Amino acid sequence: MTDNVKKHETPLLDELLKGPWPSFVKEFKTLQDKKAVANDLLGQLEYSYKTKLGYWKHGGIVGVMGYGGGVIGRYSSLAEMFPAVKHFHTIRVNQPAGWFYTSKALRTLCDIWEKRGSGITNMHGSTGDIVFLGTNTEELEPIFEELTKEGFDLGGSGSNLRTPSCCNGQARCEWACYDTMGLCYDLTQTFQDELHRPQFPYKFKIKMAGCPNDCVASIARSDLSIIGTWRDNIQMDQSAVLKYASDGLDIQKIVVMNCPTKCLDWNGKELKIDNSNCVKCMHCINVMPKALAPGKDRGATVLLGSKAPIIEGAMLSSVLIPFIKLEPPFKELKDVIGRIWEPWAEHGKNRERIGEFIERVGKGNFLEEVGIDPVPEMVKHPRENPYIFYDEYLEDE
Amino acid sequence: MSEKQARITDIGPPHHDKFLPPVIKENYGKWKYHENPRPGVLVHVSHSGAKIWSVRCATPRILSVISIRKICELADKYADGYLRFTSRNNFELLITKEANVDPAIKEAIAIGYPVGGTGNSLSNIVHTQGWVHCHSAATDASGVVKAVMDELFVHFQEQKLPAKLRIALACCLNMCGAVHCSDISILGVHRRPPKADDANLGKICEVPNLIASCPTAAIRPTTKNGVATVEIEEEKCMFCANCYTVCPALPINDALNDGVSIWVGGKVSNARSTPSFSKLAIPWLPNTPPRWPEVVSAVKNIVDVWAKDARPYERVGEWVSRIGWPRFFKKTGIEFTKHHIDDFKHCGGTFATSTQMRHNG
Amino acid sequence: MSDELKINVEGVGELAVDEDGFIEDPGKWSEAVAKHLAGTEGVTELSEDHWKLVNYLRNYYMEFNIAPMIRKLCKETGFNLKKVYELFPSGPAKGACKVAGLPKPTGCV
Repeated sequence: MTDNVKKHETPLLDELLKGPWPSFVKEFKTLQDKKAVANDLLGQLEYSYKTKLGYWKHGGIVGVMGYGGGVIGRYSSLAEMFPAVKHFHTIRVNQPAGWFYTSKALRTLCDIWEKRGSGITNMHGSTGDIVFLGTNTEELEPIFEELTKEGFDLGGSGSNLRTPSCCNGQARCEWACYDTMGLCYDLTQTFQDELHRPQFPYKFKIKMAGCPNDCVASIARSDLSIIGTWRDNIQMDQSAVLKYASDGLDIQKIVVMNCPTKCLDWNGKELKIDNSNCVKCMHCINVMPKALAPGKDRGATVLLGSKAPIIEGAMLSSVLIPFIKLEPPFKELKDVIGRIWEPWAEHGKNRERIGEFIERVGKGNFLEEVGIDPVPEMVKHPRENPYIFYDEYLEDE
Repeated sequence: MSEKQARITDIGPPHHDKFLPPVIKENYGKWKYHENPRPGVLVHVSHSGAKIWSVRCATPRILSVISIRKICELADKYADGYLRFTSRNNFELLITKEANVDPAIKEAIAIGYPVGGTGNSLSNIVHTQGWVHCHSAATDASGVVKAVMDELFVHFQEQKLPAKLRIALACCLNMCGAVHCSDISILGVHRRPPKADDANLGKICEVPNLIASCPTAAIRPTTKNGVATVEIEEEKCMFCANCYTVCPALPINDALNDGVSIWVGGKVSNARSTPSFSKLAIPWLPNTPPRWPEVVSAVKNIVDVWAKDARPYERVGEWVSRIGWPRFFKKTGIEFTKHHIDDFKHCGGTFATSTQMRHNG
Repeated sequence: MSDELKINVEGVGELAVDEDGFIEDPGKWSEAVAKHLAGTEGVTELSEDHWKLVNYLRNYYMEFNIAPMIRKLCKETGFNLKKVYELFPSGPAKGACKVAGLPKPTGCV
């Protein structure tokens, strides 16, 4: 920062330096002397705190050559007061699957970003990307060149495939029913064109969770939710169950009574599971990880359509494929993804998410288009209303 | 001028194999079970007997390169340079030597990264950009999160809650943070209809898309002073701000009316009960920077009542299912108003249609 | 909206643009303006194919007051997405729409 630029006073934000939780204000302050942009960001934010309004202009449109997404344009509406944040664009960098890093890789990213931008990041954005927060239009191409040289690429933005993300899966979890990180990497590579060059009616998110605990919230936050599950019996170590009991776990109250389908039976000596009625909810396994584990015939349930409220209201994903085996090269799944994109891309309205599209055209019709047979696992219950579409009717000849 | 190098594009992210510690590579897909020896620490044990300790540390999500380098030093010192981030903006040191666990915890805390967030605790708050970076924010994100987490800090450090507690914040209804399935959601809301910038709207916005963007058909095309613009039927506006998202000439942000709503009882996990949306607890609280005391005390109140009343493993929504919504409002002292009754499309399904009541509760 | 950003187009005069270089009044568009804007998007010369795409966008906008969706654009011009990016390396939204004088595409990022 040049000497003639004044450090902004931030009495309101300084209140957020207090308290035990890590302070984001401190993050800006550590850069305030080094970077004019950090100083002006603090200045503008303090002004927001004073006036209770944001001062960023409506999304701009900037990017790198050859891509239609990955950079979010942002301009300050108070550029005269805070010139260093006149341009404050965000760059989404595609994170490694499972958010694993070495310190070396992180330092490489830091060096690029300190040189070319504000030095402020989000680790990570809501969709999963590494987010570089705040740079100028002129820096975009150089940043892209330096990132790709180091093996990193941009993530998605706009009406495209957004950066797929996943839980840490088999890398560090015994419950993962398929290789979430392997699949995430594979799909991301397979669909690079869809990720970088918007060609859909609206955004499309994919999240992969290894088990029904869904640590990445895929059922609520992704158009395509791929959630690990199994279809044989829960694996059980009876002696480990007894150990939990003797260590003081009230198996009847904590485990059995919380089973949603009442398929557990505990007589004080032995735990019995009616596996034919188990819905793979994970509760008993969560409570007794040393005694119980998902079965051996593992795969995933594929669900479609979740989204936040805009436009027609929030939705959870609903079942498309009750069970699918997921082994490389994941041909069946990729084939299904292509088939679900086709009718939506062709007939979807501008800014219509696939969940809304399916509600508009009818899930039954959508399934016909995609070539998947309807099964009862796809609905909570059959329809209650007697208004039914029939495509044809019989006539006397 | 140097010769122009071939442009590298479409390479995707680096393969994760490059970043996995050897013990993970060797035991990939072979983990047997895990334990939670103390809050903030997980130890995963492989069928081979190999172990890896993960020490979970909170970040404010916004991290400067200076802090990331400090975190790297921590990883180098205790975890051979290996770490990962979680879906809730924590980082985890991936430690192979048990002796490194306690010193790593001590040092992480000393340099400002609290350890916790495992088991039946409150993990980090997932949140959006707020006034730091967003054009449609109805409130700040990071500031509210900081104030709430300062107040609930003990629940991050300890594992004494009935069940996991997941709080999320989104600064407007766009919900980049998809907060709609959290135990407690903090959601920025607008309450004043957008005001059309008539002189510019026709030039900078696509009017048909703008009209289609309104979920309640409150926007109609019109002409004012000879130029095309739109008219808002204010009584139909539900303040979703989608029109502003597609058209900058319909500003909706307003200091007097913007504020924060509180939602409860959602979850994404399939454990016990099925995934569910959060439901409205408090329609509006004022924006009171820098520390949003009304929001903080409202969230704390709900957490306190739930923590005292819920049975083991009952998430907030499961607890409310057991005791009923009338008693939720009674126990928390939150006022039930007409705003709590849904009046958007398909709202009829949320009305009570039975005589089952806990009159004597 | 209007910063004091302007472009000076030979034979046309000064035109107001936004930060991203989109002209603020789509009614002021002309072929000369298109040529000028193309230069700002790394397109030095507008070929017949460029004009086909620009004119398609322009006509669609004049008729419907919106930009066409990408898939429709590809179908009706006969250009696949790869070709569109070859013509306008900064993409159909940032590049082609800007040159065709359409309002800046918006939406959730």
